[in-house]
Amino acid sequence: MKILGISAHYHDAAAALLIDGLPVAAVQEERLSRRKNDSAFPIAAIEYCLDEAGLEPDTLDAIIFYERPLLKFDRVLTTLLRAFPHSRRAFAHGMKNMLGEKMWIRGIIRAELGVPKARILFTEHHQAHAAAVFLTAPTRAAAILTADGVGEWATLTTGTGRREPGGGTSILLDREIRFPHSLGMLYSTFTAFLGFEVNEGEYKVMGLAAFGRPTMADQVRKLVSRTADGAFRLELDYFDFHRTVRRSFSDRFVDLFGPPRNRYQPIDLATQDGQRFADCAASVQLVLEEILVDIAAQLRRRSGLPDLCFGGGVALNGVANARILRESGFERVFIPSAPGDAGCALGAALFADRIHFGRPDRDFPDHPFWGPAVDGADLARIAAEDGLEVDQADDDRLIEESADALVAGKIIGWMEGRCEFGPRALGHRSLLAAPHDPAMRDRLNRDIKYREEFRPFAPVVPVEQADRFFELPPGGSRLAHFMSGVFPVRPEWRERLAAITMLTARRAFRRSTRYSRRASMPSFKPMAGARTFRSCSTRRSILPGSRSSAAPRKAIRPSGGAGSTC
Amino acid sequence: MRSVLKPVQNWVWRDRTRRGQRLLRFAEVEADGGRDLVRAAELTGDARLRRLYLRHASDEQRHAEIFRQRGMELLSGGPAAQTASWQGDWLTPGERGLDDVQVESGRDASLLAFLHLSERSAARDFAVYRDALTHDAESRQVFERILRDEEFHMNYTRRELARVSPENQHKLLWRARLSRLWKAYLRFAVWLAGLISSVILTLQYFVLLPPFAWLVKRAERREPLGWHDTSSARSRDLDRQY
Repeated sequence: MKILGISAHYHDAAAALLIDGLPVAAVQEERLSRRKNDSAFPIAAIEYCLDEAGLEPDTLDAIIFYERPLLKFDRVLTTLLRAFPHSRRAFAHGMKNMLGEKMWIRGIIRAELGVPKARILFTEHHQAHAAAVFLTAPTRAAAILTADGVGEWATLTTGTGRREPGGGTSILLDREIRFPHSLGMLYSTFTAFLGFEVNEGEYKVMGLAAFGRPTMADQVRKLVSRTADGAFRLELDYFDFHRTVRRSFSDRFVDLFGPPRNRYQPIDLATQDGQRFADCAASVQLVLEEILVDIAAQLRRRSGLPDLCFGGGVALNGVANARILRESGFERVFIPSAPGDAGCALGAALFADRIHFGRPDRDFPDHPFWGPAVDGADLARIAAEDGLEVDQADDDRLIEESADALVAGKIIGWMEGRCEFGPRALGHRSLLAAPHDPAMRDRLNRDIKYREEFRPFAPVVPVEQADRFFELPPGGSRLAHFMSGVFPVRPEWRERLAAITMLTARRAFRRSTRYSRRASMPSFKPMAGARTFRSCSTRRSILPGSRSSAAPRKAIRPSGGAGSTC
Repeated sequence: MRSVLKPVQNWVWRDRTRRGQRLLRFAEVEADGGRDLVRAAELTGDARLRRLYLRHASDEQRHAEIFRQRGMELLSGGPAAQTASWQGDWLTPGERGLDDVQVESGRDASLLAFLHLSERSAARDFAVYRDALTHDAESRQVFERILRDEEFHMNYTRRELARVSPENQHKLLWRARLSRLWKAYLRFAVWLAGLISSVILTLQYFVLLPPFAWLVKRAERREPLGWHDTSSARSRDLDRQY
């Protein structure tokens, strides 16, 4: 059975193809169009998936979209009516937007792919998140938690999933919290307040939080109160996102936290305002963590299961994920490589296969490499055409020379195999640099990634050596599998891994870092006393604002020009 | 036409905040153009064109950075400083405009014709903006620097068009002109349709919606806070959109 999953029209459009229950290809549209967070109908991603399998659209058994358009329209319309008469501008804007394209998904799919109406299916947004995390995780039974900005109505859901080897699968999401009460919206409101782009800059807030103290946590708690049944509600007087498209926080919010950051001014942590913004970030981060840990702990008690599958955009918050693992009582926490909306394409396809069609369970390959592959011969040909030097080396020499280059302070652009599905660079499209010199971090941020000085980088170590460098809780190496957790660096390594550590004032100047595992890294020779590399995506090495390249031609020239070595 | 609009340009560029915002918009357009050119470089089978596209993309990126820096300088000190925080479009994000360059494999000649006309038009516009900026030497200098690159872009696209398609170059240029006209018409039509629909929807909002708004608000007051139990029957039916 051949099933195509599609996510589109909000952010991070993507397509994923399953054949007989296993993925053949999955890629975000942005990897092909180069538009960051591209939300357009992912026709290039669909073409890639079909080409990879050698299929024509009419041979597909089902095409499944990752949310229900009419239910979403219901939420938009109801929200606008609730805000009457303050939503007059938003109403015209929202209706034009929904009625223009987003309501007619079935028609768009039929027009683009020429498939019969009966083969087009729709899953709920959070069902797709839940399937994306549970059906790709190496577990048979797990509690499921999904949290993001908003799907149709749900903003957070909990439930359980069970699957039998070769047998049936069930995913039961039995409770949800509904819009406008949303942890994703809370965090994104602070993202907007701090002058970052919503749906893109949330990880900057998390990075900035490490430089602040949660001095305003009590003010944040005024925005989000807990309900008697253990859920939460947003105090809507502090927000405007439910009644306007122009502003997400209200004047009362500004009274509480001070003037918002002018996004055109850099954050200077040496100034009072800069520190205030960092403290705001630390405060919302702390409150987010507290609520997530509490909800996860409730779920642990209700489900009685030791494993948690956590999906949705909020699951990209590595600091919160690490706290959930440490404090909620779950023994293992699984987060997929694409927990956000892009992953819903794969989740929707898996949901259709296992639940709707009732096909037997299959173990999902535990890696994220489902995108376009790099072809060495193609690279060599292009380099020759451009008069660049090409050297073909066996693995041993390649690794030795790469390690030497890193020790010498060079930055390596590393491409191999198929590109990652999801926002993280997990070793197939990465920039590698030595982790010991903080000047390297500054150089990468300033000259290669064109981004703020406070942005962190992820170290890469052999999984069996992770405990040597990092204070990992039980289950930490699994959480770090797709770069989904932030953990402290062991004190004895902090100076030597200075480029990948970031100060956490909140923890009295302990240092924390991200940690990711890369299976092929053990073959790297020890360098500078540490078998640790740091990795970041090539997404900004080509042109700022563009996405990492899926094809070699896109990567070979410009990153070399930006000061890195391919 | 451009000289007729000169007083308008003088008015537009006089205000510091407006100037900064326009430069930031130009930065986005230039960066977007750079990404399209990298995509074109990826798709072309012509090694010479690939190198030129990549150089062009790099220029566009540099322009974006120059525009962005100057725009931020203007806005960081201006009266918009307290209100310029980024605001997300919460209800309905995710739209793409009409101006995407259709970069397709094997269509180098038509892309070159399109690029040539775009660069020529941009150069003419930038010259007008430069002349309007008599009171702001730094912003004027920004346009002067960029205009030098635009000349190279105009020339190489024309030269390469002649090389790639010597027989059809004039026809392709005319087709590109018509395509630009068509896009201009579409832009205007979309703007007009947007305006008309905004008026109609706003009228409906105040005339038709009040009773429904009252009902919805009443229902909202009855809605319990906290957890909601979900309907598994609805969830399992994948045929429905609601």
